[in-house]
Amino acid sequence: MKRPDTNQALGRLLGPPGPEVGCDVCFDELDRYVELELAGKDADAEIPGLRAHLDGCPACREEHDSLVALVGGEPGR
Amino acid sequence: MSAQGTATVRAMRSSTEPAATRPLLDTDSRDWVRALGATGATRDDAVARLHALLLRAARFEVARRRATLPHLRGDDLDDIAAEAADDALMSVLRRLGDFRGASRFTTWAYKFALYEAAVKLRKRAWQGREIPLEPESWSLFSSAAPEPAAEAEQAELLSAIQRAIAEALTPHQRRVLVALAVNGVPIDVLAERLNTTRGALYKTLHDARRKLRKDLLERGLSLDDRLEESR
Repeated sequence: MKRPDTNQALGRLLGPPGPEVGCDVCFDELDRYVELELAGKDADAEIPGLRAHLDGCPACREEHDSLVALVGGEPGR
Repeated sequence: MSAQGTATVRAMRSSTEPAATRPLLDTDSRDWVRALGATGATRDDAVARLHALLLRAARFEVARRRATLPHLRGDDLDDIAAEAADDALMSVLRRLGDFRGASRFTTWAYKFALYEAAVKLRKRAWQGREIPLEPESWSLFSSAAPEPAAEAEQAELLSAIQRAIAEALTPHQRRVLVALAVNGVPIDVLAERLNTTRGALYKTLHDARRKLRKDLLERGLSLDDRLEESR
């Protein structure tokens, strides 16, 4: 059994196994993806490859998480 | 553009959609686009409101990261938020024609401010620090195994990874993979030091990861299975 740290380190090294979009496409689609998520829709089916990219790119992941927190915290959400 | 996926993934890029298939704008988004595309006082007012919206988003990002930047004073953080809002405003106005109504206008605009603030904060956190391009530590891959057999397995794994990195990758791929995935250098920081972009750097990282996976698989090591089993 490996420590969680070891798995995280391996995950960072190998990245996501499946197809993924790049950072530029991620940025282009991020607002739509986040609104789909917040609406409870299947964002991964609508925008294939973006979730995998978020798993592989810490910077884009952080910006995704911030957008979810910002938009999700607005009144009326 | 740096799509690394299959043709299916590349084909989904909605910026290539014909205008007729694009979603209709909601009322608020349409008002934003109209006002920002107007002239005179209407546009000036819209730009001022947009700047205020972007500043709020930038401050939100700064507040989220504040705990990770204890060496920065409040004034520094305020300056970073203000600069991020200014830069985001320029980006939003420059790319206004790209807004397709796939989300609300405010959500689309927020991402520019969050991006600018996040990039500036990452760069500030690494200001003056040397970028490690060689492995600083492999300890996360090899220590604290509770059983001798597991310890041997981890040693074998580490050895295979190090060999694959040394033999299967180009020098540039090796430097990028080690800096980003082993040493934890933020991608924007490395991009600035190497005079390239986040997208180009991630493409290099992606290619390096694919080569690494292929090399390890050829050596009989399917690490995805191992990661899956341990979940």
